[in-house]
Amino acid sequence: MKTFSRIVLCLAATLAGVSAAPVVSADAFVQGGPIGSQTSDGYNALGPVVTQPIEFPHNRHAGTRANGGMEIDCLYCHTYARRSAVSGIPRLSKCIGCHNMIESVKEKPRIKTLLAYWDRREAIPWKKVHDLPDFVRFNHERHIQRFIFDQGRPSREACGYCHGDVASMTTARRVKAISMGWCVSCHEKEHRIDAVSFKTGHGPNDCWQCHH
Amino acid sequence: MIRFGMTANSVASGVNRRDFLNLVGLGGTASVLAGCGNTSIESGVELVQSYVQPETFVVPGVGVYYASTCTQCGSACGIMGKVREGRILKLEGNPQSAISGGKICGLGQAGIQGHYSPDRLKTPMLKENGVLKATTWEKAMSLLSGTVSFTAQGPRRVVLTGPTSGHLQILLKAMPQSGAATDHVVYDSLSTAVAASVNLKMFGVEQTVGLIDKAGLVLSFGNDFLGAGDSPVAAARQYARFRKAERRGILIQIEPKMTLTGANADRWVVIAPGTEGVLALGLVRELLQRKEFANNLSPNLIAAVEPYNQTEVSHITGVRGDLIPRIAATLWEHSPSLVLAGRYPQGHAHGSHNMAAIALLNVVLQNQGKTLWREAELPFPQMAPALGNFKSLRQLNTQMAAGDVGSMLIYGTNPVYSTPDFMRFADNLQKVPFKAAWVTELDETAMHCDLVLPLMSPLEDFGTHVAAAQSDGMEISIQQPLMEKLHPEARSFGDSLLELLKQAKPESYKSFPDYYAYLKSAVVNAKPAFDPKVEDEEFWENTLSAGVLRRPAALLPLPAIEFSADLVRQPLRESRDAAYPFVLIPAVRPSMRDGKAANLSWLQESPDPLTTVVWDSWAEIHPSTAKQLQVNEGDVLVIKSAQGSIRAKAYLIPGIHPGSVAVPIGQGHESYGRYATNVGVNPFKILDPIFDEETGELALYATRVAIMKTDQNERFTKDEGATNLQQGRKLVATLAADQVDLAKETPFVIR
Ligand code: SF4
Repeated sequence: MKTFSRIVLCLAATLAGVSAAPVVSADAFVQGGPIGSQTSDGYNALGPVVTQPIEFPHNRHAGTRANGGMEIDCLYCHTYARRSAVSGIPRLSKCIGCHNMIESVKEKPRIKTLLAYWDRREAIPWKKVHDLPDFVRFNHERHIQRFIFDQGRPSREACGYCHGDVASMTTARRVKAISMGWCVSCHEKEHRIDAVSFKTGHGPNDCWQCHH
Repeated sequence: MIRFGMTANSVASGVNRRDFLNLVGLGGTASVLAGCGNTSIESGVELVQSYVQPETFVVPGVGVYYASTCTQCGSACGIMGKVREGRILKLEGNPQSAISGGKICGLGQAGIQGHYSPDRLKTPMLKENGVLKATTWEKAMSLLSGTVSFTAQGPRRVVLTGPTSGHLQILLKAMPQSGAATDHVVYDSLSTAVAASVNLKMFGVEQTVGLIDKAGLVLSFGNDFLGAGDSPVAAARQYARFRKAERRGILIQIEPKMTLTGANADRWVVIAPGTEGVLALGLVRELLQRKEFANNLSPNLIAAVEPYNQTEVSHITGVRGDLIPRIAATLWEHSPSLVLAGRYPQGHAHGSHNMAAIALLNVVLQNQGKTLWREAELPFPQMAPALGNFKSLRQLNTQMAAGDVGSMLIYGTNPVYSTPDFMRFADNLQKVPFKAAWVTELDETAMHCDLVLPLMSPLEDFGTHVAAAQSDGMEISIQQPLMEKLHPEARSFGDSLLELLKQAKPESYKSFPDYYAYLKSAVVNAKPAFDPKVEDEEFWENTLSAGVLRRPAALLPLPAIEFSADLVRQPLRESRDAAYPFVLIPAVRPSMRDGKAANLSWLQESPDPLTTVVWDSWAEIHPSTAKQLQVNEGDVLVIKSAQGSIRAKAYLIPGIHPGSVAVPIGQGHESYGRYATNVGVNPFKILDPIFDEETGELALYATRVAIMKTDQNERFTKDEGATNLQQGRKLVATLAADQVDLAKETPFVIR
């Protein structure tokens, strides 16, 4: 319990300034069918299962309390996403910061593997799940600014626009097509520019925004 | 956004530069080695950049800048390397370096390519039955420490390097203690040893400091200070101030083939190769017509310049007679002036006399103490640069031929490529029983060695450098790794030297586990000269963060030295050999220099500033010569000297003396990675054995050649369109220069 409140405290500190809207829109999580297939909206597509060095349970960390999760905000671990073009993977010391304190799970196989990496001071070779082509530059920071900080949408929903409902997965899997047409279809939509005004705007449609 | 690495915070966090590199190591190396080029979204193929415990300022996707030093040429510009996800991505200038002033040149920018080159040597190689085969460092080191046993085969055991400075130079000087070498020879195929010797005789120092921005007029005899000069980045900054001054500075460039600097000049004057000294004496004679200048010379010198009247000078140099008094008048009117001399006048049998005659102009014009100074002494003279020359290599070559050299360790120079064929250097190298080379890529010299060792790239290594041409004070430039080693077996040359010294003198060197530890201790020992108040560790971290150790140093006046009139004596007019009517100009390109940069494809791809040709060699000839020889652009010419011949396509350019043909240096490698090999030709090879009479330096611009046209014509790969700029139509109205009254047309007056 002590550990749990520590985590909550950490989260509160991290999320200060992020105004979490209570309702998560389910539209963001529409999933595709078999690999390469497309749903009726023409875009969602399921990627292959990616085997990671540790089968990281996103659902346990970020899932809803009702489903046994801790509702940790995506940005708590993927902290670089709001500061950089790439979201990055949390540094190992961040995982250890919490897990050193959680005695109850220290003997679980996944945590033992995690601690062994730390003992060796070895970075975990996580595999990329959403690896865009080299000629495309996606900027996490700008999207997070727009949807989370300006519009006040919850991270789970805003991240979910592209990544699906990761909070319900164990290791992440691609569930969106992430093709150019798919990106453009969202950029063409009118989005509210912030949480309070009714003014809307759409994403840029210049080639160089992503290809530069 | 520029972020400077190694802040005080990083010290406090207990993670030093090395730990940082280790921490980012896994992800960094993995992502470097992973393939790139996916064209649609991928899952589960590449690794994410993953950190253990990075510095707080490390954010994936955001670059962090670390200071280091460019080693692409001897200028030692301070650089900042943008590091992201453990990879070095881009080099910029370090604003804290007075030499680079926050900028770098194209050659410096391309340094990153040598680091990522696909042809980097990855393991030590040992020659067995004439073929280089992979070996281990253990075996290599045991062979190196055994070089002492080669004494019986030849008393001289040599370390042959290119120009060096800083702490590497200190270790090289100590090498005789190791027994692995008896002496250190420094070779530079583009050496300025002639200028240094003349400066010493006339101004008491080898290196003078010319302040371009303090001059109203710069008269440059073939000094390509904006292109392939001693410190082009620093010079370009001075030049900008010179041009922007309230009274805009004027540049007159006199040379047999246009350089980049010449192309920027207000007035470009073509001159017959090797006659620069004659023109200089002609100008001195003109200046002496004014009383105020006559007092500056001894009667002997006045008598020595007397024969150089306008007609005679014009006849010898090919410079229009009326220009001589006009240039002299401009020199006087735009005082203070600065007279510079570059490579062209040095490269002749009478190179020293040429240079002395040009330097005499500075004396007559009393530029000492106004635009011409000397540096204060470096506080650590043992770190001073060893600039190298040709003469020592020539002596070494003679000893090699006689079988007097037992072993040779080679670093930072490629003499098999850059020496003329008449020296038979490659053949003589075979007479040396044991030779080892440290290289990043297998070059021509390495191919002739018994042992070849993989060298860290300059972006992976530590080092200290002191440039011969300083700018605004004295600067020790600090080199630190911008990235973890790409190839695990690559080692620093400093580490190899230290290990050899440690084996021979364990008591002196045992406290240094590696070259890094040696450098750190040496730099920290220098603390009292720079920042005595801080703790050692903080001093070291601050030094790495800044990338330079600087001392403000006032420039000192040049001493007045009596010199004999004999110094400026010019040769009698030489008779031309009818079989070889042209003079060969092996042109030094700003991007290729002595050929060391030919393995960098960016530089191969960047157009030559004057011809815009890429990935090739060419022969520049004057259109009038072309007409006489019935040569068109692209015609393949055979350029033949008494020593051999090369083939190159003709490029017609008005910026060359009609009696010359220029072929750029740098191409024609037989080995040096995929980008350098089999591109163009190497003009070094056909040079005649002509040497400066005073210093023994190779006369680079004195070879005479014949030009023969073949029946082949090939298209150039070049950026410019048709050289006939008017494209057969009168697009822009033009007027010949001689028909223009320059007094009306230009912002300055040459009357
Ligand atoms: S002048 Fe030399 S040292 Fe400076 S950036 Fe260019 S190549 Fe590097």
